[in-house]
Amino acid sequence: MRTRDIFSYAFSAIKLRKLRASLTTMGVVIGIAAIVALLSLGQGFQNAIAAQFERGFATDTLVVSLRSLQGTQSSYQLFTNDTLTIEKIANVTLAVPVIQKTVYAKIENRTFLINVAGVDFAEYGSVFSSTFVAATGSIPSNPSNESIVVGARVHDPWQNGTTLANVGDSVEIIWTTVVNGFRRENITYTGQVDAVLDEVGGFSFGGPYDLGVYIPIAQAESFFETQETDLIIVKLKDSEETTIDDASQEIRNAFGGQVSVTSSTAVLGIISSVFTFVELFLAGIAGISLLVAGIGIMNIMIVSLMERTREIGILKALGMKSRTVLLIFLSEAVTIGLLGAVIGIGLGLGLAELVARFGFLALGLRNERADGGMGDTVNQGAVRGLSITPVLTPTVLFGAFVFGLLVSMVFALYPAWRASRLKPVDALRYE
Amino acid sequence: MIQMAIVVEAVGLKKIYMLGKVLVEALRGVNLKVESGDFLAILGPSGSGKSTLLNMIGALDKPTAGKLFIEDVDVSTLNDNQLADLRRSIGFVFQFFNLIPRFTARENVELAMTITDMGKGERRKHAENLLETVGLKERIDHKPTELSGGEQQRVAIARALANNPRFLIMDEPTGNIDSKTASEIIDLVKRLNEERGVTTILVTHDSRVAEKAKRVVQMLDGLIVKEMAN
Repeated sequence: MRTRDIFSYAFSAIKLRKLRASLTTMGVVIGIAAIVALLSLGQGFQNAIAAQFERGFATDTLVVSLRSLQGTQSSYQLFTNDTLTIEKIANVTLAVPVIQKTVYAKIENRTFLINVAGVDFAEYGSVFSSTFVAATGSIPSNPSNESIVVGARVHDPWQNGTTLANVGDSVEIIWTTVVNGFRRENITYTGQVDAVLDEVGGFSFGGPYDLGVYIPIAQAESFFETQETDLIIVKLKDSEETTIDDASQEIRNAFGGQVSVTSSTAVLGIISSVFTFVELFLAGIAGISLLVAGIGIMNIMIVSLMERTREIGILKALGMKSRTVLLIFLSEAVTIGLLGAVIGIGLGLGLAELVARFGFLALGLRNERADGGMGDTVNQGAVRGLSITPVLTPTVLFGAFVFGLLVSMVFALYPAWRASRLKPVDALRYE
Repeated sequence: MIQMAIVVEAVGLKKIYMLGKVLVEALRGVNLKVESGDFLAILGPSGSGKSTLLNMIGALDKPTAGKLFIEDVDVSTLNDNQLADLRRSIGFVFQFFNLIPRFTARENVELAMTITDMGKGERRKHAENLLETVGLKERIDHKPTELSGGEQQRVAIARALANNPRFLIMDEPTGNIDSKTASEIIDLVKRLNEERGVTTILVTHDSRVAEKAKRVVQMLDGLIVKEMAN
């Protein structure tokens, strides 16, 4: 029997039981849609993270920090002049120390608890040339001690047009010292905003971020009366894996293993591998729903086999071969699987799109609203600056398609085999 | 007398099967020859083994012992695929018509040719010709439920003729239709046998139907007990 005739025969049988066939198809649709939605959302999320990382943290940088031992900081200390040691290492072009402290910042009678970072503006800017960039004002390369650079969210904390810390405004920095572990003393100084940074977005590893306040390193050293540093940012010659690995190892050796060296690529790798695991786990659950759909297919194929036993007898009496009977039953399942896969892929993409737009609200990842009074609109994408576009890779598309087909075929195999094995004389006698 | 080609030959044919826990000897050594152009009626009461014999001849079932030759081929040596091929050259007509309900008369006839890989245009034309031959030209696009019993049986006969079979086998073809229509059907079969030389083997318990055949064999308890020519 010709392939086309086999399919048209199978189709005529499906058409006879429209409701039953469409319910079975629905099972496949749900399974495929869940897989496609999860995987394409996951891919979109990964792409968004990767893009953020490329912006927020240059790939040719390392972050040197103190190694924490079982949650407690070691007594080892890094100092600002440790950069000299690092800069001697091969492939290191620059090492920038960062002095970070949590302070109160008084801006126009409002007081904020905020992180302040003391950096060399020129060097820091050369490492993070795409993010340490002024949106308004300009970042001085030879700053006065009072110079302050603020992140976009410090300037515009409510994102509704009410701005603070404009260029030229003064900011009072208040730091509570702890002397001998007992006495507290507030020391203050007043700086002046020279620049507001461009918005960086959600992620920033060691680099500038939207809630940061930056002061010159010299000012930090004298104000906080310290040369201890928490972070040293290292810029490398390039972002080759061997360069990163070799330099990381040498830096660790140079400090006797007391520091940890992290590359942004490694962090990206960890995040994406964690996310891949979660994604696969969810896709696995979706896969189970497809297996359930497969059992549904098997169920109706067996019912269909019972109902059509006599028909199979007629076909065999007319000289149809067992193999052809098998193929007819399989192609019925394949038709259902194919239809389910196509509809499921479409529905899954739609679902992913919907979740990307609205679903993250439910997940607690806050969507920023434009507080424009009437007709609030939800920004496209989810976390501000992290907009997710679901991506259907050819692999996922092809995989979902093949998986749908395969499941429907595998579960139809047994009923189809039983149909093909019927003896014509018994089948014809079947009531 | 001219020696005719032997189409079917049964030699000591036996069939034993289990019906629940009871061993049934349906055929107990049947010898039979059917020549090309024959119109043979197998007459007998129910349980005499005539349908079992017909199933053997139609390659729907295999004998327990003895041999069955169809045009010199020993059926018991054939595998599943070869049996299917053999059945393509045999035209079946059943008591309960056995048409596919979702197909029209023409589609039912076409189905037999679809199985033998005939092209769409050819089988369509051939199906129309066959339905005209059995007198159903006007009912071509009707489904079985829209046809009377006699009409359904005519469709079944047209389907049986579709692949130009070596012979027709008919299992109580008139068993499910009224006597007037039954005699029309038998006349049709007789006409096909006489005008086209279609070899026909027919099973019935109705002696009025058997009368129309050229040869009649009588079966009782799994054996052929009497043979007569009309």
